[in-house]
Amino acid sequence: MNNYTLIIMTDDKQVVLERILQVTRYRGFLIDGITASVNNTNNIATIELLVSSDRPITLLIDQINKLVDIKSVKVDNNATQLSNA
Amino acid sequence: MTDSKPLTGGGLLFNVVEQHGVNHVFGYPGGAIMPIYDALYDSNVQHFLCRHEQGAAFSAVGYARASGKIGVCMATSGPGATNLITGLADALADSIPLIAITGQVPTAAMGSDAFQETDIFGLSLACTKHSFQVNHVDELEKVLHQAFEIALEGRQGPVLVDIPKDVQMAAVEQNFKSAAPLKNKVKLPLADISKALDLLTNAKQPILYVGGGVGMANAIEEVRAFARETGIPSVSTLKGLGALDATDENYLGMLGMHGTRAANLAVHDCDLLIAVGARFDDRVTGKLDQFAPDAKVIHFDIDTAEINKRREADAPILGDLKENLPLLTMSLNITEWQANIQKMKADCAWRYDHPGDSIFAPAVLKEVSDLMPKNTCVTTDVGQHQMWAAQHMVFDEPSNFLTSGSMGTMGFGLPAAIGAQISRPHDTVITVSGDGSIMMNIQELATIKRYQIPVKVLLIDNAKLGMVRQWQDLFFEGRLSETDLADNPDFCMLARSFDIKAKQITQKSEVTDAINEMLDHDGPYFLQVKIDAKDNVWPLVPPNSANNEMMESA
Repeated sequence: MNNYTLIIMTDDKQVVLERILQVTRYRGFLIDGITASVNNTNNIATIELLVSSDRPITLLIDQINKLVDIKSVKVDNNATQLSNA
Repeated sequence: MTDSKPLTGGGLLFNVVEQHGVNHVFGYPGGAIMPIYDALYDSNVQHFLCRHEQGAAFSAVGYARASGKIGVCMATSGPGATNLITGLADALADSIPLIAITGQVPTAAMGSDAFQETDIFGLSLACTKHSFQVNHVDELEKVLHQAFEIALEGRQGPVLVDIPKDVQMAAVEQNFKSAAPLKNKVKLPLADISKALDLLTNAKQPILYVGGGVGMANAIEEVRAFARETGIPSVSTLKGLGALDATDENYLGMLGMHGTRAANLAVHDCDLLIAVGARFDDRVTGKLDQFAPDAKVIHFDIDTAEINKRREADAPILGDLKENLPLLTMSLNITEWQANIQKMKADCAWRYDHPGDSIFAPAVLKEVSDLMPKNTCVTTDVGQHQMWAAQHMVFDEPSNFLTSGSMGTMGFGLPAAIGAQISRPHDTVITVSGDGSIMMNIQELATIKRYQIPVKVLLIDNAKLGMVRQWQDLFFEGRLSETDLADNPDFCMLARSFDIKAKQITQKSEVTDAINEMLDHDGPYFLQVKIDAKDNVWPLVPPNSANNEMMESA
């Protein structure tokens, strides 16, 4: 099981968090932690999602990226190394 | 009289639907969607009352798939909305552009477990490409335009818009704008064309593997030009049928679980697999690690998430097929491979010499295919009849063969045929169904009756859930659990009760006349074809087997 930290930037739209969680579960990733905050000046939310799975993380990144409201998804390599340590 | 009424949210909905070139919608009214149905009363949009919301969803899917337009279906809150879900899931799995409008209880009542309230917005997350809930009438126009754009953009799919009753009733204050907002197209990453060219020029045994994406990208001409000019032997998925020229000597037909032996063997032996709008579905690949085991892969797709999902691509090419396919179109010298392919094709040709007097479904479907007029649209349900139709009928375009590919939804065929016929009133529409599947949406015979829709129903009747029975015989020691349908209704009497002309045939000698009678009949027609319950679909790749390990008899 590999651990990853994803940094997701998204429009602050209704149910966007539910959508991300649904896709994450369905595509075979366990959620180990989550923090979220919204920048009220531009209505962009930043979500830090800690996940673990045997599946390649690109699978999840590609699927989250397909969600309409998502701006960007990237793996936080520093955080991932920490959580693997 | 109607001009003096202020525009409401409900009226705005139909204005936007018309703006997007859709003149027909499918639905079923109920309490929480009454203001929309009231606005429909004054609208130019024609509504077809289906007899179950699932029928409305599949009619909208059939309408979209047969015409290339967006399908629109509508339902009330609660059970009306939940009844759409199978249609939405089907449209998501097969990438069909669909708009589902659901009525919702008034905003003040939402979240109170009100009568016919369900969280359809929450339920939509796993079965739509995107969904909206409109909480104020000022948002409605923008949301509706976005819904149409999202349904069509990139990889197509269904979008649900949930509209509370008070929003439907509210007066629209801003002036109605006739222009749709500009599209915000996503730029896809660059394709690896030079790597693909290198693979292509070095391949000795390439295969072109074509899927449903070709039809949806309107790239039929481009894929045919590619096949013709390169001379690369080709195979098709279930949803890709019709994209390639079936008369091409290097075309081998469908691959996969019930594909042709030649297609599966050729793919197994190839050294380069060029996947075009196809996604390595498990019904195509069989045992994945033994699928085209020695092949490099060029993968054309519009959806980034399909690249490397099930099979790593040596050269991924993301983007519009119409632009990208011509970049690789060139002549190749693969005559030895072509000769092998053509020999394999001849050795594996279908045979229709079936002993006895009982009717052989593959021969019936081949004969229908030979006799039906050009541009006939065929829909199917799911099961043995579906695979026989895919194997033995020939289609000029993917929009002439509508089948529930990914979801495999029984009950798809009849309502999809209704939608197809409404979108293409001058073409013949036939639904090939089975006696299990037809009962899943049999109520839609009432829709046929109401609008006198001239759909032809070709029922392949073995009084069984035939595909499950086949698997029980082959893989579950013949333990026939819950697959006998000997107590089916009298289908002809049932069809006649909806004023549909019906006929039953049981012998080979009756087949040709019956097909001609069905095709020549002006209105709806129901032809029940009784077949031997023991007939199986061959070939068959057994579960967890490679595609070159096909069974051809029990």
